[in-house]
Parts: sequence; C-alpha cells; structure tokens
Amino acid sequence: MSDFSCVITAGGENGGSEGPDALRASVASVLGQSLRGSEAVVVLAARADGPTRTAARALADSSPDRVRLIHPDPAARTTGALRNAGLDAATGRYVLVLTPGERLHRHACRNLWQAGERSRADLVAGRWSWTTEEGGKEQEPPWQGELYARSRTVAGFADAPQLVVRDALVTGFCLRREAARRHGLRYEEDLAHGEILFGPLAAAAVGRIALVRRLIVTGRAVPDRARDLAALVEAHRRVAATLDAHGLPALREERERAFVRDHLVPLARSFPRLPAARRTRVAATAARVLTAPVPPELPPLERVAATLLARGDAEGVLTAAYALSRPATVCAPVTVATGEGGRVEWDEHCSVDVTELGHQYRVFGGARLMNRLTRCTAEKGRLLLEGRLVLPPHLAPDVAFTATLEFRARGGARAVAFPVDDVRHDGNGVTWGARADVTRLLRPLGVRDTAWDARLIVEAGGVRSVSDLFGPQDLVEGTAVRFAARPRLGQLAGDTWEPYITLKDHLALRLTARRRPARATRRLVRYATHFRPARKAKLLARALRKRLDRYRSRSFKATTYNTWLTRLPVRRGSVVFESHMGRCYGDSPRALHEEIRRQGLKLRSTWSYDTSPAGFPDDARLVRRWSWRYLWALARAEFWVDNQGFPQHLRKPARTTYLQTWHGSAYKRMGFDETRVRLQNAPQRERLQQAVHRFDHFLVRSEHDVATLARAYRLPEDRLLRTGYPRNDALVAERTRTESEGRLPRPPLAGALGIDDHKKVVLYAPTFRGGPAAGGKQARRRLLLDVREFAERFGDSYTLLVRAHYLEAARLPLCPPGTVIDVSRHHDVSELLALADVLVTDYSSIMFDFALLDRPVLLYAPDLDTYAAERGSYFDLREKAPGPVTATQEELFAELAELKKSDIRHASHRAAFAAEFGAFDRGDAARQVVAAVFSRQGASRITDHHDRGAGR
Amino acid sequence: MSRDIFIVSNSTDELGGVTAWTHQTARLFTEQGHRVHVIGIHASDRKMALPAEPGYPVTALYPAHPPTPWTPHGIRDRFRIPTRRREAARAERKRRAVARLSELFATARPGAVVVVTQVWAMEWVGEADTTGLRVIGMSHESYDYSRASHRYRWIKNHYRDIDHWLVLTEEDADRWAGDGFDNVGFLPNALARLPHVPSPRTARTVAAIGRLTDQKGIDLLLDTWALVAPQRPDWRLRLYGTGEDEAALKAQCSRLGLDGSVEWMGRTDDVEAALAGASVFVQSSRGEGFPLALLEAMASGVPCAAFDCAPGVREIVRDGEDGLLAPAGDTAALADRLLRLTGNPRLRDALGARARSGAQRFSEPEVGRRWEELFAFLER
Repeated sequence: MSDFSCVITAGGENGGSEGPDALRASVASVLGQSLRGSEAVVVLAARADGPTRTAARALADSSPDRVRLIHPDPAARTTGALRNAGLDAATGRYVLVLTPGERLHRHACRNLWQAGERSRADLVAGRWSWTTEEGGKEQEPPWQGELYARSRTVAGFADAPQLVVRDALVTGFCLRREAARRHGLRYEEDLAHGEILFGPLAAAAVGRIALVRRLIVTGRAVPDRARDLAALVEAHRRVAATLDAHGLPALREERERAFVRDHLVPLARSFPRLPAARRTRVAATAARVLTAPVPPELPPLERVAATLLARGDAEGVLTAAYALSRPATVCAPVTVATGEGGRVEWDEHCSVDVTELGHQYRVFGGARLMNRLTRCTAEKGRLLLEGRLVLPPHLAPDVAFTATLEFRARGGARAVAFPVDDVRHDGNGVTWGARADVTRLLRPLGVRDTAWDARLIVEAGGVRSVSDLFGPQDLVEGTAVRFAARPRLGQLAGDTWEPYITLKDHLALRLTARRRPARATRRLVRYATHFRPARKAKLLARALRKRLDRYRSRSFKATTYNTWLTRLPVRRGSVVFESHMGRCYGDSPRALHEEIRRQGLKLRSTWSYDTSPAGFPDDARLVRRWSWRYLWALARAEFWVDNQGFPQHLRKPARTTYLQTWHGSAYKRMGFDETRVRLQNAPQRERLQQAVHRFDHFLVRSEHDVATLARAYRLPEDRLLRTGYPRNDALVAERTRTESEGRLPRPPLAGALGIDDHKKVVLYAPTFRGGPAAGGKQARRRLLLDVREFAERFGDSYTLLVRAHYLEAARLPLCPPGTVIDVSRHHDVSELLALADVLVTDYSSIMFDFALLDRPVLLYAPDLDTYAAERGSYFDLREKAPGPVTATQEELFAELAELKKSDIRHASHRAAFAAEFGAFDRGDAARQVVAAVFSRQGASRITDHHDRGAGR
Repeated sequence: MSRDIFIVSNSTDELGGVTAWTHQTARLFTEQGHRVHVIGIHASDRKMALPAEPGYPVTALYPAHPPTPWTPHGIRDRFRIPTRRREAARAERKRRAVARLSELFATARPGAVVVVTQVWAMEWVGEADTTGLRVIGMSHESYDYSRASHRYRWIKNHYRDIDHWLVLTEEDADRWAGDGFDNVGFLPNALARLPHVPSPRTARTVAAIGRLTDQKGIDLLLDTWALVAPQRPDWRLRLYGTGEDEAALKAQCSRLGLDGSVEWMGRTDDVEAALAGASVFVQSSRGEGFPLALLEAMASGVPCAAFDCAPGVREIVRDGEDGLLAPAGDTAALADRLLRLTGNPRLRDALGARARSGAQRFSEPEVGRRWEELFAFLER
C-alpha cells in the first residue's frame, strides 16, 4: 500500500486527444514527487492506440513498484469509466486524478498530505495553472488568487463558494480514499469533462475541506470550448442542479454568471480565429444547448455575446468578439429608444441594454466605428475590398460624405490613399467597395516599412472618421491573393504584396519575398544582422546605453547636485517655483508669482513642470523637474517656493531661503503623526526630518494648523508665518464680489468650460486614497460617486465638475454633454472653487478653503469610519463638518435635492468652520508673504550690486 | 526512534536569538533520545553565555568569521595579485571546511537529519555531501523582514531546490508559497520553560521587555503611555532592557512628563521575576519575527497588549481571546488596549488565564512532538 495514489487515464473516449507524451509527462511528475510513497495508477483503455499502449507498458516496466498498469473491463470506454476503475484500484491513503498532460508540482503530494493530516479534512485542494494560448505563458486562473490567499480549513464548500462557483475543482485536489468510498463518489461515465461535475459533488459530500496555498498541478489544458461546448454546458447544468439541490440559489446564480465569463465569453472572443464553417457550426450548437436565460447582472458586452451565442447568430458573435476587445468602438447600429430614460439597445434584433457603453453620446468623428470587411480578393491585378461600416442613425452626418481607402506604413508617417468608388449609405451603415491598384501606387522603400495597415476614412463637412478594417482570420487565409510589389530599393528588398489579418483582427498588407533573388537577399540580411559579431555589437550597444542611462538616473543626479552643484554661487533675486511636484501651475506658488509680478519686484522666476510645460506662464523660465537645468536652477536660487516639497534627496544650499506654502489644512494625520511614518525605521524617519528641516518659512491659516501640521512636522515657532494662504486671496475677493454684485456673471472660466448660466455648478473633489504610485504612474481609480446616476438625476439643473486628486486620474463614463466635466487637468483649483456653487468632497483639504466662500458643502464619505481608523484624524468630522455628512449616495442626492431648504441650517456650522480653520485668511496673504520674505531680504540685496557674484 | 541530528548554524556561540534557539533545541532533541551534533560555521568573539557542559558535541568549522568571497570587476581587478591569492586561499579553506562537514555527515546512521538554522550556513551544507541525509532549512524571521534584506536573494538561491525548509508561522509560509516556494513548511519556536506559578496580577504595573533600540518601538510606547498615564495615575510602566537609544528615550520620557510613572529597570536576567511583578505586558515593536518575550509573558499568565506588526505576533496572541492587538504603529489604539486591560481586573484574569494555557501550544514537549512528526513525514 502506498501513501498517495495518482490516477491517470490513457486512451479514453471523449476525453481529448492526449498522446503518449502527455501520459509520460504526467507519470514522470508523479515519479518525481518528494513524497516517495506516491504511486501512479495508469488506467489503460482497451481501445487505446498503439503508441499509448507502448508508452504505458514502458512506464510500468521502468518502475514497477511505483507505476501500476490497470486494464479495466473492455466495456469501460469513456474517460469517466476509466477514472472510476482507477479509483477502485487505488491503494493510497489519498487519491488524486490527473488528466494526461497535467503535471504534479514536485512537492504537491507532500503539501496535500501534510494539510490533510493536519486538518483531518477529506478533501484537500490547492492551486493549479494552465497554458491559455498556444505557446503562451503558463498562468493561474485569476480568481484563484483570492480563493487561496491563505491556507485554511473550511467546514463546508459554502464557506469557500469560489470552489463551486468557478471550475476550481477540476484538478489540483485530492480525496481521502476512504472518504471517497464512504460517500460513493464516482465520475459520470457518459459525461465528457466529467471532472467539472465530480469536484463540486465531492466537495458537497465530504464536509471539511482544506485549502492550501501551494501550486499543485501545472500544464492543465484549456478546454477546446468550440469543440466541447455541449459537454461543458451539460456539466455546468448538472453542477448548477447540485447547488439547487443543496438549497444554494445565490451560488447557483453566481455560477451562471461565472460560466458566461469563463466559457461563453472566451468562446465568443475566439470567433475571429475560427474558420467560417466552424463558426456556423459552433453557433448552431450553442443555439441548441444554451437554453437558460442569460444572467442579467453582467457587463453589457458580455451579455450581448452570450445572448447572440444562445441565438446562434455567428456573424453577431463575431461582432461581439470585436466589441469585447474594444469597448469604446461602436460595433452595432445601437438604437436609442425614445421615451423615459433613453434606453439604448444593441441593435434591432438583439435588445440587450447597452446604455452603459455611452454610445448614445458619441458623435461622428469622435467615435471609433467598426468596419467589417466582407470581401478581400484579387480582381484583374487589383485588390478588391468590400465592407460595411457601422453607422447608427444618431451618428450619421447630415451632409454628404466621401470615403477613401488608405494604407499607412506601420510605425511611419507615410500613407497612400485610394479612391472608394462604391459607397452606399442606408439606415444604419455604409456599404463600400474599392479596387486598389496596390502594385502601381503603393511604393514602399523596402526596408522598415514592410507592413501597411488599411483604414477607411469617411469625411463629412470637414470631420473625419477613421476606421480599421476588421475581418476574421480566414477572410484572407488560403485564398491566393497576391500582387506584385515594386519597392523603391528594388526587387531585392521584396517582390510581393500579401494581404493578411493582424493579431488585432485588422487587414494589413505585408511585403514578402517569394522569388529567388529577394529570398536570397533576405537570408543574407538576416545573416548579417544575426551572426556572431552583430550579436556582440548589439550587446555592446545595450551595455553602453545602460551606462549612459545611469548618468540620467535620479540617484546620480542627486549625488552630483549634493556634492558639486550646491557649491555654485547664489544668483541674487532668483526664485524657483513648484506646485504639487510640478504637476500644475497653481496654488499658492502661483498666487505669489502673480503678486510678485504685480508689484514689479525684480525677481527672476523659474517654474518647474513635471510632464508638459503647457499652461505654465510665458514670463518665467520653465525647467522640467529632475532635469539638469532644474537642478542648476535649484542650486543657484535665492528662494525656493513650493507647496509640497522639492525632492527629498536634494540638499538646500546654505544661502537659499525655502518658503513652504503648504497645500492645505489637515483633517487626516500627517507627517510624524501618520502611522505609516511612525512605523518606518530610524534612517527613513531621519530622512523625512532632514527634508522638513529645509523649510525656512511655513504658511499657516489658523491655530489649528499650528497645533497639527507644525507639530506633526516638528517645525519650530519662528518658521511659521501666520498669514493665511495666498491662493485663498482670490476666494476672499470672490466672496466680496458676489456679496455686492451677485453670482452672475460667472468668472470667464465658466464660458471656457461650456457651463450654462442657468445651471448650478457642483464640484466633486475626492481625496487621495492610494499609497505612493508605482514608478510615478498615475493610478486610475473608480470614483466612489456614480457620475452617470448623478447626470441622470440632476443633469438638468446641475453641472458636475470632477476633480481627481493630482496624484490620481479619474476614469469617467460617457455622460450627456454639459452634465459632467472632468477638470482634473485644470491647473488652478482656486479658480474652480470660485466657480462652484456647491462642493462635494470627503476628506480633502479643499473644504477648508471652500468654506471661505460661504457656499454649501456636502460631505460624501462612505468609508468615513474605516478611513479615520486607518489614517487617523485630527478631529471628528461629523461634529465639526461645514455641511451634512452623508454615507451613501442616496443620502447625498437627497441632501442635494433639498439644498435650498437645509442650507440655512448649516450656515452657522459653516461660519464656525471657516472661523476656526481659516482665521488668518483675510485676503491679503500674498502681499503679506511677499513683504515678509521677498521684499525684506530680496529687494534690499537686489540693489546691492557690488555684492553680486562674490563667489559663495 | 533515535536519530543523528546535525544542527548547523552561522555560529556556535554568537550572541543572539538563533544561537539560543540552537542550544535549546539541541537540548530538547537530546532529551528526546537523539544524538545531536551542533555545528557552527565559525566561532564568534561576542560570546553568549552557554551551558558549561552541553551534553552534545559542538564544532566550529572556522575559528573566526570567514572572509567574504570576492570576484574581480573590470580589468584592473584582474591584476590585483594579492587579492586574488587571498581569494584562492579563502576558496581553499572553504573546500577544507566543506570536506570536514562531509566527514561529520558521513558518520551518521541512516535516517539522520541536518537542520540548517540560517540560510548563510546553507552555502557550506549545500556543497557538502549529504547523501542519505534529510536537509531541513530554516528562516527565523518573517517574510517581510527577509524580503527587505539581502537574505531574500540567498533564500532564493539556496532554499528554492532544497527538500524542505521551515519558517515560523503558517502565514509566512503562505507568503513564501505565493512567491514560488512550494517546499516551505512552518514550525514555531518553543518556549523554554513554563513558570510554576503565574503572576498574581495584583501589582499596578505594566511591563515591557526589550532592547532600547528603534526596532522595539519604545518611543511609540512612551507616546502611548502619555495617553494612558493621566487616566491611570496609580499605574507604573516598567521598562526592562538597555540599548543605544537609552538617552534619547529618557529625554523623550521627561519631555512627555512621564518621569513619575515610568521606571527604567535596566537589563534583567530574571525575566520570570520581572513578569511576576507585572499585571500587564506591552509590546510596541516596529517589526518582529516570533517574539519570545511575548510568549514568556503569556506563559506567566500576564495578559498582553501588542502591535500587530508581524504574523508571529498574530500567531502567539489571538486577539480578544488571550491578549489584545492594536494595528501596528497606532498608538491611540494601543493606549485604548492598555486602558481596557488596566481598568478591568476581571478581563486581565480571563485573558491571563487563557494566555497561560494558550502558551502551551509552544511548550517544549509540544514543539518536540511536531519535530518528531516532521522527521517521520519527511521519510515518507
């Protein structure tokens, strides 16, 4: 008797087409187990083919004590029956079934055994991986990460629902053999892919299940969904029935959704790669077997794909496949239902609701349209293309339009246009045809421009709509469509044009070599670029580039700056400004910059920008952050002005004055009050302290700032300037203006953003939630507020401005024009605040500034308690808030609807809030700061000419 | 069954937790009837107080720390003859050390086991002839701690293909498994001994034991105590231990006005007595592996409040059941836990009693049994 029996079947019917190699690989993985008491039970079907038999015998002969060959009853033909025979023959304490080709990880049996013995569970499951594409990388199904986040033991499968919702138990688990016998667990003999059913049945029967976070099986084959669709559906149906029988309708529903996502959607996605006949056949099968209704809580395109599959519409599924990989492309003649809500349907035959995609708000020229290529042949030496462009009625231009076919060199700018002679526009599309004389007109160079992408350009009234030509892979394959090519470099560079479908399912032309001279040249060129010296040269070039990259690295720059550049003499009267690490031209540094200009002080301003200099002032020198010019400017500046912090690693030169304006009062804990910082080790904390010690002046707007920020950063009293924020001067002025003149006319920015005068403006500005972004990349996050619903409910009376945090970017859905505007890229928040009638925020410091305007503030903080617990806060928001604190979207919308009535109630809160947190903001901050910092020190020295360049 | 067990660590007598563990486990194995041989790669100059008559052979392969390997970088390095000769001598000495190790291993009877306590020592064991022996690697720190240090690369190089290796907790093992190490298991450290009498939990004293260094977070503890002391004027915080940060910490203590309620006790060798005089134990570390101090406090029946800073802490203290945990670094939360413990004698007694019985999970017989199980398992 052995410890662990691994059952492997060979030659079963309806079990796939594994060869002897797959069998050998599986058995070898069992023999390679670190648990030496594991045996392989090879069940050889009576009808197995010759090579498989030979391989099985050879394996049994080579290690007779660990490989057992079982010859079952000849009546057992299916894989299910063979597996059952294997289960009967197994002797180990645990038994595990492998499909040939699947390999056990070296320590799989040990890990399963150990978990089983420790937990006393009858079923032990672990992770497995598969190869999703031909020659692709081995990877685990994405849902597995959550299921196996921790090793654990559950009392029943309902505690780990993913086990049965997904096909988690198709492999990579073992059963206590005695328990399998006790519960009478068998494979269904008539069911292909019986493992899909067996796993959940076993899980339901045994009770306790141990999950181990270890890789158990690799090399599982992805089921051929096109071939086995009927079997997959049948297995899924029976699992669903089992769940129903256990009284778990919620899990059943979840499983229905998972089945669509895991099987039907990938099947639909594979359609462009299937031949036409196969597509029709698969669609017909789907229509026969998919009888259950499509689960409603799926994303729209998944629902479209499943609906069309169930209907057996092969062409429709092809379209859905294209749409699934390009959600922003209009792929179907969507119909906008008139009436309440403006529901949008996929097309007249498929009434799936696709309102979410926002196609109804797209306009001609701004939207990508699907252009389905229907024909691609050679006709009298010309390339004949026919296709149909999807053009829903609401997108169709009113004026007459022209179409041209264009081939564009990939990665280059060259393009060649061909006329499209046959264009017919009907209700919801444009049918077109073109004959392109590619031989004569398409003249590539022959090197580096061997691939040309086809596009159709439709132009109407000066608006162009460009579309790629989408076709399934078999549209061009097999047909001998070729044209002579005449590269400018001569026939040796290539001699034939060959149309083909790219990996992205678009038509393109490639220059190939078919005749001998060109083929010989290609081989020669290949040799020259790939033989040994060339490889060596490439390596050398790469090493050199790497060395050069080092000189551009931040660490090298910081070192050079700290050791050499800081020794440069100070340039009198020079100021370096930076706002939010160079991301915008705004905030207090901007207000100070403008005040300096207004007063006409002779200061030389330099602004740092991070990615693009667009929007930065013309009258200042602009330097890119971390560039050498930036470091040079910093090293020589007399003043540094910034609201967040110049790079931590850069030392401040001895003669430089650092004015830290800071970017907002604190609600959440900051600096050394922050848990994250407190947990850092001593050198890290020391580095932060050093960086903060660079500040010579620090602006505060109230005693609250003194008690929180100044204390959190350990700033001594003499560094604080009790002036308020220069950026808020505009707000104080705006309040005075509106009190005397009224809200209208609005500032000019309103016109630039296209805001109606009769609509109120709501600014939504949530705070930063993530940690530091990896590699300086902006994290794209979902907003907590459902912008689309806002547009639906309040679109008529409000315009919503969305301002994501400057470290993040929001992804906004498409909404009716004029209802939602993304202002994340706008440089100056103060201008937006002056424009807004209502502010909606959570914990952003923006609320402290907005309070100065004495306009309504709504706090929308669904995660207030967790946020306050995690980040820590300086006061209770609910107690001191300047407006109502809402926890759900419904509450927020209710408050927004009741704004006029409730506002009087909150006015006193707001006044108290503004008084407490903005006591020093009196509208003259910029003037005070300039007087205190620049005029006193700077101006006196500017006149002091003989002192200049004294070499310090 | 009596086995030959070789315990190989970096050093035989270096001051530190792993050395203490090595000799404790060697004694435990000897008591269980095994033939133990403790091997250190080198002998150390900063000696640890060891049992005078260990009862098992102790061998050091090098008399002092061996030099680190050297590889030439660039052309100039290739002509550094003296360095090259030193490197050759180092390699030769290493060969001899490995040969010596192989000789020792060759004397083993079938079923022998090599336990490598630290990954560095694996460089020698990996090269030695271990045919017929089971090699078990160990890492005595949490995953995060290894990940942040150079030892991560060593573990990758030396432990990935080893038969089996151990970390301290299941959570750490899972995290290593997620990183592609599927040969990892876990086994906790053992508590040296259980005090006969639990603490009476009557003194109005909160105790903390640990070196006064940054890692132990005594500064955070003082901040915490500043929140607790005003509400518990009759309670005292006793800090046992010395360390490099002592002066700075005492200054912080005075600044916070806690001089009246904080007692600096200095280093103690009698941990049991210290715990017997305390009713609450507090630990405020920034990072830990498998904190034995916490375990000792629980064994003495002293309820604990601690920062949840590592899987080892979660493994020892089950929050709300036999102690109270606070999110790491959150001094307000830790203060809240202390207030709950100091304000409620019934809670103290309940948690303390459960802690004392819970600590049995890590008692020597229990951990010894798990080792035996592991030896048997690896033979399957």
